[in-house]
Amino acid sequence: MKKKFLVPLMAGILALSFNSCQKDIKNINKENPNQFSDSDPTLMITGAQMANVLFNEGEAARLAGIFNGYFVGYDRQYVSYQDYNMTSGDFDNSWATLYSEGVAQCRLIRAKADAVNNKTLSAVASITEAHLLLTASSLWGDIPNTEACRDDIAKPKYDKMEDVHAYCIQLLDDAIPNVGGSSAYGNAYVSGFDWAEVANTLKARALMRKKDYAGALAAALNGVSQGKDLRAKHDQETPGAWNLYYDFCYWNRGGYMSCDGSHVSKLMDTASSINRNNAKTDEMPRFEWYFLSDPSEAYSPLDPNFYGIYYATTPFDLVTYVENELIIAECYARQSDNDKALDHLNNVRAEHDATYGTFKSYDIADFGPGSMVNGSSVNDALLMEILEEKYVSLFGQIETFSDIRRTKNALGIPVNTGSKLPARFLYPQSELTTNRDNVPTDQLDLFLDLDYFK
Amino acid sequence: MKVTLGKIPVLALLGAGIFATSSVDAQVASAMGKNSEPQGDTVNIGEVTITATGLTTSSRKTGYGVSQVKGKSVVSSGESGLIQALSGKASNVQITRSTGDPGAGAYIQIRGQNTVTGSNQPLIVVDGIPVSNSSIGGDIDGVVQQSRLNDINPADIENIEILKGAAAAAIWGTRAANGVIMITTKKGKKGLKVEVSSTYMLDEINREFAKQSKYGQGVNGNWVANNALSWGDRIADRSGTDEFNTTGRYFEAADGDKYYPIVKKGSKQVYNDANRNQVFRTGTTWNNNVSISSGSDKGSVFFSLSDWNQKGILNGNSDYRRTTGRLNLDYNATEKVIFSLKSTLAKVSSNRIQMGSNLNGLYLGYLRTPADFDNSDWIGTYYNDAGIGTPGSHRGYRRYLGDAVPAYNNPGWTLNEQVNSSDVTRFILAPEVMYKWAKNSNFIARVGYDESSDRRITYFPWRSASSNSNGAFTDNLIRESELSLHLINQSNHKLTKELSLNATLGYLATDRNFYSIGGSALNFIIRDQDRYGFFNATSENMTPFNSVSQVLNNRFYGTFDFAFMDKLFLNLGTAAEQSSTFADRFYSPSASLSYEFTKDVKIPTLSYGKLRASWGQVGVAPPAYIWGTNYVSASSASGWGEVMDASYFGGSIYRSTARGNPDIRPEIKREMELGADLKFLDGRISLGATYYQNKIDGAILAVAVPASTGYTNQWANAAVLSNKGYELDFNLAVIKNDKLTWNIYGNLGSNKNLVESLSGVGNVFLAGFTGSSSRAVEGHQMGALWGGKWQRDADGNLILDANGFPQQAAEEGVIGDPNPTWRGGFGTNLTFKGITMNVLFEACQGNQMWGGTMGVLNYFGTAEHTGNEITVDATKAASLKNVYGESIADVATADANGQYTVRGNIENFGGGDVWLEQGWYTGLGGGFGPVSEQFIYDASWVRLRELSLSYELPANLCRKLHIPGASLGFTGRNLMLWTKSPENGGLEGLDPETNLTGVSNGRGLDYFNNPGTKSYIFSLSIKL
Repeated sequence: MKKKFLVPLMAGILALSFNSCQKDIKNINKENPNQFSDSDPTLMITGAQMANVLFNEGEAARLAGIFNGYFVGYDRQYVSYQDYNMTSGDFDNSWATLYSEGVAQCRLIRAKADAVNNKTLSAVASITEAHLLLTASSLWGDIPNTEACRDDIAKPKYDKMEDVHAYCIQLLDDAIPNVGGSSAYGNAYVSGFDWAEVANTLKARALMRKKDYAGALAAALNGVSQGKDLRAKHDQETPGAWNLYYDFCYWNRGGYMSCDGSHVSKLMDTASSINRNNAKTDEMPRFEWYFLSDPSEAYSPLDPNFYGIYYATTPFDLVTYVENELIIAECYARQSDNDKALDHLNNVRAEHDATYGTFKSYDIADFGPGSMVNGSSVNDALLMEILEEKYVSLFGQIETFSDIRRTKNALGIPVNTGSKLPARFLYPQSELTTNRDNVPTDQLDLFLDLDYFK
Repeated sequence: MKVTLGKIPVLALLGAGIFATSSVDAQVASAMGKNSEPQGDTVNIGEVTITATGLTTSSRKTGYGVSQVKGKSVVSSGESGLIQALSGKASNVQITRSTGDPGAGAYIQIRGQNTVTGSNQPLIVVDGIPVSNSSIGGDIDGVVQQSRLNDINPADIENIEILKGAAAAAIWGTRAANGVIMITTKKGKKGLKVEVSSTYMLDEINREFAKQSKYGQGVNGNWVANNALSWGDRIADRSGTDEFNTTGRYFEAADGDKYYPIVKKGSKQVYNDANRNQVFRTGTTWNNNVSISSGSDKGSVFFSLSDWNQKGILNGNSDYRRTTGRLNLDYNATEKVIFSLKSTLAKVSSNRIQMGSNLNGLYLGYLRTPADFDNSDWIGTYYNDAGIGTPGSHRGYRRYLGDAVPAYNNPGWTLNEQVNSSDVTRFILAPEVMYKWAKNSNFIARVGYDESSDRRITYFPWRSASSNSNGAFTDNLIRESELSLHLINQSNHKLTKELSLNATLGYLATDRNFYSIGGSALNFIIRDQDRYGFFNATSENMTPFNSVSQVLNNRFYGTFDFAFMDKLFLNLGTAAEQSSTFADRFYSPSASLSYEFTKDVKIPTLSYGKLRASWGQVGVAPPAYIWGTNYVSASSASGWGEVMDASYFGGSIYRSTARGNPDIRPEIKREMELGADLKFLDGRISLGATYYQNKIDGAILAVAVPASTGYTNQWANAAVLSNKGYELDFNLAVIKNDKLTWNIYGNLGSNKNLVESLSGVGNVFLAGFTGSSSRAVEGHQMGALWGGKWQRDADGNLILDANGFPQQAAEEGVIGDPNPTWRGGFGTNLTFKGITMNVLFEACQGNQMWGGTMGVLNYFGTAEHTGNEITVDATKAASLKNVYGESIADVATADANGQYTVRGNIENFGGGDVWLEQGWYTGLGGGFGPVSEQFIYDASWVRLRELSLSYELPANLCRKLHIPGASLGFTGRNLMLWTKSPENGGLEGLDPETNLTGVSNGRGLDYFNNPGTKSYIFSLSIKL
């Protein structure tokens, strides 16, 4: 009968020996050996900035551009966009880029950078995050912020536009002292810019939206200086690296979007009755940089110029000296300081003259009733000229969408259809499906004004 | 030997090869060809059933339906692959070949699909140990891969048992949701027997696309050299001879043929047949098999060697060679201790032809070739105007002088210059000991090890089409292994006079490993020597890669089989499973009840009747490594194609937007099954019927989460699927006497799948293309075909444009269903004086497919119907308009009789006749247009799957030859195929049993798939 014990003994030994191989059963699949489970924040920051570039240069900029009178939806889905026929689903991609590839990464980077006391990197993450959220809040108004991108919250609540702006301004204020004058950790951008200046211009943008002209002026006076533009880098002629407008207008979606009959082209084209050319201004060289009319190359009678401003390797303007100077000029004009306003407008014209050779400095006498730049008063003419210059200069950028709404469309951008320009982006379908309780569903209207622009 | 314990025959360990009951002996006898009770290939109510543990039980006692396939019928099917050999032989076991390439894999589906993102393939258990049936690879391009189960030599198989339901398979827990295929290999038999068999097989293509031969290369009715399209001039209207410029550049082929620039196309020659004959040949196979079987009271030996050497029907580097060896041993050390070993080795090498959506693929280049282009010279030397030659130049219809790389490969290049080899070594070992430690108990310890390594080379020589034009190659080694330990204790207990219990307690642990390593090299340094080495590329042109995975799993299980008065049987089972891929133990309880009511109620003519019911719970394990969130190379993309890729910005690794889920649990499948097994007229008629329904809760997929959380999706147990269906198996012994037996048999299965919920995801892409794919869509069966549709009104009528043509709908949607409404096999089996005949028809009905090839042939103008001409009178010519609104009279001129003849077809979409021509076929009416709905075809088929004849040489002749026996055989496979005609929504030109993406969950896609085959097989078998 002794042999009987052999069985349980044998079973036990076998099971135990095999089980010792199995002791890691709870652990071996926890970490994926084929992927990283963490990263260094200095390696993450470029990814977040790439998301910022895609967000500010990609689909959101094109749609805002259709609202702004920059672009004309010309083929396929873009035909409906031209008539402001948009659905929530059209905004899913931009939203996903904004949060999952942008804001979430910035917050992770900041936490990781703070942990190792890398103040510069932390500040760069803050500026990148503020850049993303400021653009987003200008498009959607109330957006998730305080509860966004937290692993412990499955359905983030939405914060008021005012609070999001205040948060961003605080981020920028905290960041400015820590970035010095450098462009460190800025691999997605053309080097040579200054983080502190960029942060100040972003802050000025935020304050402009709420018409805090004194505050905006103070910030802008420390804003982007000449030659220190923040521009998206597209230095290789290959998909994945090249200009995103080039990719869309030429490579992937040729013909979807035109500039034929766009308001901005009419302002510049000498053949148009509303063109802004005058004795000191010849817009045609800039027109040719912006637009392409060569029928053997263009998909429409007038395309966004994918051999000029949107060529594969042309950097894309994000936060520039021109914008900053025009903010300053507008603030002075709003404070009725016409001389200073004109000085800064002329700084911009000098910048353009250096590029195009066709912009001469204005004198104060050029403004006013019956003058070269007509207006009900000198100040009014000057202010309108500053706004118009900004509108034309920032062709293809999102920020002028805020200016148009803030000024109650002072420039008279014509509607494509109906009686009102769109006032915002729609909340994305992905949020409506998965976070409906928190989405301000009373704001699902493309023409409903944002708080700041009521 | 025979062991009985009390009144209950000991459950035989056939699977383990330990000892056998009398019923097993009977089965062995039948397998030896002494078939006293001829039966169909499929028997649902055989004498013995192998349970999921690898042990056997009497079929009378099971409470679930099982399909059995005899090893003999696997061999007689003549298929190289075990999986393919199961076609039509068991109800609701759907086998789909990926393509007709030699050794190509096949897809097995038992009772519908049970998971969205996991594998829908059943677990394979050979001789009691789990083995791999992976088919790694399978996308819209590349080559079709093998299924690892096909490494097993079909001639080594004694028996296959298919456990379809959850109750039958429950002890395999999270590996059992798709059923379990239990394979038992042969064991030695008393005496010494040697059998030698040799088989010669001829394969042919069974369906071909027809191409138009009237119009030449070009566009808008003009011949254009190197043009992609066949919308050129009318060949019959040409002058008769080509005019060349022989003063400058030319191409000189390897055989000395010279090709000069064509100044004016004039030749009326058409090359469709020559181009066809370049591509296809008659495939040939030699299959030789030797087996030795021996046995005594002390044990038994089964030894076999086999060699399958096949050249495929594609006239180039297409072959498959499998050499196997097997040794199965049992040794009875004492009355109580028995050792055994099952072992097999296989070496499988094959060469494949590129296919699919692939500029280097065979059918893509072949079927797009215009009728007036001769593909016969594909490689040679191009001499430029200065007379400088470039050897190794590639000539194809997109570059007829070989002066640059053609956009598509010449088929000759694809077949002969490119290399896609696979070199597999495989071994499976299963040593085992059994100890009968008490009168009513025995204990088994079994270790299993299955390892395969597969070295794959993909080689595109310099001047291949596409991005491979400067040469490209990949060398990849894939190693898979599974180690298992199985401990089983089995005991029989007589509880009362009428109640007995057979209890099995087991422990099963497995360790599965996957490892892949390799590299790719681009831009060869030396271009004219084929070298599969990385030294032929500079370092910046090399990309190494590797990946690993390991999954541990263990389970304790118990099954308790109660028998009451030998007529009422209750089986209870449960398993508690632990795995490295999920946190909490998974339990898989099962229960089944069967009642042999004919013991109580005597019904005339009904000799045996059993009712059965069962319920079980099984699962699908989560994939490895989805617990955590990964950090990945940064990349931001919009939905329009723009991308920001970190590799161009100095690199960036950031957090993935897909969130891991440490709480992931197995998908749970619960299934209920009811059935009856009946035999009439002393077993002359047998019938099995089963109804089942199941529900899969918590199917795993990546669900969308609010992006404002910082993630876009997260792995979750989110989907709900269900299946229900029925199965019928029958066998009718029409004549049964000493000289003649005649059986009719068949099986029928139907399954209805439903994707009940995807938790708001809407649909999940499984396989295919952006515009045409197979998806999981809420409210539809799994694998639903999805793509662009026509615009329709509320009543479903087409909304036509001003010219009477349909228009593209704004949104994509479900356009078809690749799942059959039913599938069945019907056959007959006749034995007369040593002659055995078996005929098996198989049917698959109600399934649809996306005929992407046909769509694209429309576009290119090579599809046969695009060469049609229409002749109309002046009135009709003025009214028939094309898609641009131009009438025939607008663009063509009348002949002397006032008649107009133009290329195209007349169609009526509901708004009157319209004229389909180049503009239509290259636009909305072609495969590159957005509307894939029009290329959904009825892919139903019926085929003569197998016709086999064998003749046993008469005993007196064998005596003269001094051999115990010999037989001659012929098998025809796929000799007949019936499909729907184009008028009835069918698609001509291919065997609809195909799938572009191989053994993937996405089904029913065709896009330049390599074709299917039919075969003629001759065999000679001699017993020595």
